[in-house]
Amino acid sequence: MLNPSTAGQPAAAGELGSSLKSRSGKPFDRKSRLFFTNRLFRYICIGCAAFVCLILLAILGLMFRTGILTFRDVSLSEFFFSAEWVPENEQYGALSFIFGTLALTLLTLAISVPISIFVAVFLAVMTPGWLKNLLRPVMDLLVGIPSVVYGYLGLTILIPLIRDLTGSSMGDGLLAASLVLTVMVLPTISRISDDAISAVPKRYVDASYALGGTRFQTIFKVMLPAAKSGIMYAVILGMARAIGETMAVVMVIGNTPQLADSLLKPTSVLTSNIVMQIPNVPFDSTWNYALYMMGFLLLVISLLMIVAVRLFQRKGGRV
Amino acid sequence: MKWFKKLAVVTLAAAFTLSAVTSAGAASKLSGKVVINGSSALLPLTLQAANEFKKLHPKVKISASAAGSVTGPQAVRKGIADIGACDWDASTDVPGFKKFTGQVANKVAVIPFAAVVNSNVKVDNLTTKQLQDIFSGKVTNWKDVGGSDAEIVVVNRSFGSGTRVNFQLKALKGSDFMSKGSNYKEVKSSGDMKTAVESTPNAIGYMDLAYVTSKMTALKIDGVAPTEANVINKKYDVWSYGYYMTSEKPSDATKEFIKYVQSAKFQNGSLKKLKFIPISAMK
Amino acid sequence: MRPTTAERNPFSSGRSMNRLRNHIFTALVWSIGITVILFIFGLLFLILKDGLPKLSLEFLYGLPSEIEEGGGIGPMLFNSFYILIISLIIAIPLGMAAGIYLAEFAPDNKWIGFVRICVEGLASVPSLIFGLFGIALFVELFEVGLTILGAAVSLAFLNLPVLTRVTEESIRAVPQDIKNASFALGGTHLQTIIRVLIPVAQNGIITGICLVAGRAFGESAVIILTGGVSTSGEMWDFNLLSPGANLAVHLWYVQSEAIVPDAADIAQKAAAVLVCIVLTINLLFRIPLWLSSRRLK
Repeated sequence: MLNPSTAGQPAAAGELGSSLKSRSGKPFDRKSRLFFTNRLFRYICIGCAAFVCLILLAILGLMFRTGILTFRDVSLSEFFFSAEWVPENEQYGALSFIFGTLALTLLTLAISVPISIFVAVFLAVMTPGWLKNLLRPVMDLLVGIPSVVYGYLGLTILIPLIRDLTGSSMGDGLLAASLVLTVMVLPTISRISDDAISAVPKRYVDASYALGGTRFQTIFKVMLPAAKSGIMYAVILGMARAIGETMAVVMVIGNTPQLADSLLKPTSVLTSNIVMQIPNVPFDSTWNYALYMMGFLLLVISLLMIVAVRLFQRKGGRV
Repeated sequence: MKWFKKLAVVTLAAAFTLSAVTSAGAASKLSGKVVINGSSALLPLTLQAANEFKKLHPKVKISASAAGSVTGPQAVRKGIADIGACDWDASTDVPGFKKFTGQVANKVAVIPFAAVVNSNVKVDNLTTKQLQDIFSGKVTNWKDVGGSDAEIVVVNRSFGSGTRVNFQLKALKGSDFMSKGSNYKEVKSSGDMKTAVESTPNAIGYMDLAYVTSKMTALKIDGVAPTEANVINKKYDVWSYGYYMTSEKPSDATKEFIKYVQSAKFQNGSLKKLKFIPISAMK
Repeated sequence: MRPTTAERNPFSSGRSMNRLRNHIFTALVWSIGITVILFIFGLLFLILKDGLPKLSLEFLYGLPSEIEEGGGIGPMLFNSFYILIISLIIAIPLGMAAGIYLAEFAPDNKWIGFVRICVEGLASVPSLIFGLFGIALFVELFEVGLTILGAAVSLAFLNLPVLTRVTEESIRAVPQDIKNASFALGGTHLQTIIRVLIPVAQNGIITGICLVAGRAFGESAVIILTGGVSTSGEMWDFNLLSPGANLAVHLWYVQSEAIVPDAADIAQKAAAVLVCIVLTINLLFRIPLWLSSRRLK
């Protein structure tokens, strides 16, 4: 690694940077030190990336190790295809929760993604600078509001509203949950998309206008495609939050283990069922294992969705 | 430079861990650590007692957390808590939960429960049979139990909740709850129950008497109103003891803490203010 | 400066369609933008209107009470900051380094694709599961019980993936020519990253840190499981092994179990305090950005 000939040679050459010129005579001169720190930094970065993976794998391992014990007492088909969840009678069918999670996530994304992208365009392109500086922190702020507060507002304001508008006697269910979730993921999706759109090089935009494109065309044909990677990431993050959110959902979904055949029927999702029951479950019981299995499923569902989005993105063309 | 900060934190943390371990090892009579976990219904009582106890014995560290009742005896069995608060006597079998062997149950409070309805419901008295029918889903309209023509919204605690176990045992005499239906929901805590019953028209639920507010109606059961006096003179029997479960050989600090909670000073002072009933009243 | 030769221009219909669409689109974006912003301010107003007027210094500084009205949130507030700072000290370097690796060093192959999915997957893990993981790690494996340390580390794990991805995205967004310029001046890769890429990407990174800090401040599910619901009951308790309830946990506790007569009041005030603090954090992080962008002008 140490190469004295190259390090020593440029001593005479004044036009090279002073950094390389001064050789202190120590075994670790500046060049090899730089080389060393660069290497070291790289390895530290690799280590950190590996650490992040390690945590995920450790969590997956923990959930799987405990969850797999479910199938000592419950058959695979019962767990996945039965909607009968009655721990009192040792019935552990998770179908209604799996369905609830998928339906809730899709519904939330269907409402929040279009609105968020409009808001991102609004923030990135149309608002004047001072308003941006005011609005961006406010949007970030919404992420920091505890989910308990959202849930409480949903329970005391949104649900009575739904009850009045639809005439149903409860109001709890997928509709209420997805509206609450929309409010929660909206700032995340729109702020990250906003950053992605703002980061599109100005010359692209100028080029589009120079070619006679209208603002509409510039935004849709140039800026959004150029910011696609960032927007995708925002959607994934929003989706992740929608799948994983617990404390707010549990207050408005009704927590009844039944398949939701209407938007207003009280139902339950994986997260809400775990958080409702995990405090009350005896260790070393099939019930506990089944809850861990549901946690594992939750992870698998979100990982699959991410893979799907990535494949979809690749198909759509490279950015 | 951030790497060094991180390193510093890790070393610092290690140092703290070490010092904590050594100090716990050299515990004198009234120092040490008491870890309490378990029933959230008993948490206000535990926190209050811990505050007062710490003033008497500043060297004792008390940390309290809460999840569900069954967490308490389980944490004691696993050795991660010294006291497990539980809404039932966990050294015996109850519906859904097996007994924990090798644990001692210490009574600390009497908890009365009440069936409550939203203030728009015109019914103020139900028989045990009517309660059973409503909570099992056989009766679904208020007009069948003497109210106006409206569907009953049943709000239940989730399976495993201590309040649910006690309500099922004492008020419903062990009969089963419904588990699904379009006018049925489950909630996670006493506070959620309170909000749900207060804000949902035609709702019925149940909770500790301490949580009942003026914005809802507490029902008479078989003509007896849920009041403290009726519990003490044994007319109203929907109540249970709250328990602190410990291992058979608790530490000195733990023993002392339980003794404090059971002392007349605490029972007739703070415990009463928290709307529990002193255990001595039931003898 | 649009030509007004519509009647002869063969593309006229297309062009007026374009203009129409442009107008409709602009109107749509404005109306959605303004609706959402009004909605957000309405929401903030809802949260703040009940709590903010009743706030007092004693509430912020005082000890909580179980029986009497007028309990404060002092130790919880302190724990909130303490846990937040420790978790950021752990998560920011780790997350940024991992993000830098993914953006700068990582080869484009399947293995790295897998790492990316891991990171995003970790970002989608429900906070509840981090809590269970924290219990397995700190309570059962290390046997330290419910502590500030456990809460902070679990929270750091929760925030790692978001920081990683945000750093990666913002560094990728730095134009290639700036990077090339640095290399051309003889900068090493490390110098380029530290002196050029991170400063240019700081806007995105700081947004990420704000998001994470806000989320950490409002997180309750993880803390209940790893930090407990109680505090040591004293102010300025820096011991990492004290029980670590924070403000969001206290809010949950007051809303769901507390019997104090002014529970609703405390909840409203605590929510208002949380919102104000998250706003302050956002502003504080942004001030250096404004200053530097002003200097660049």
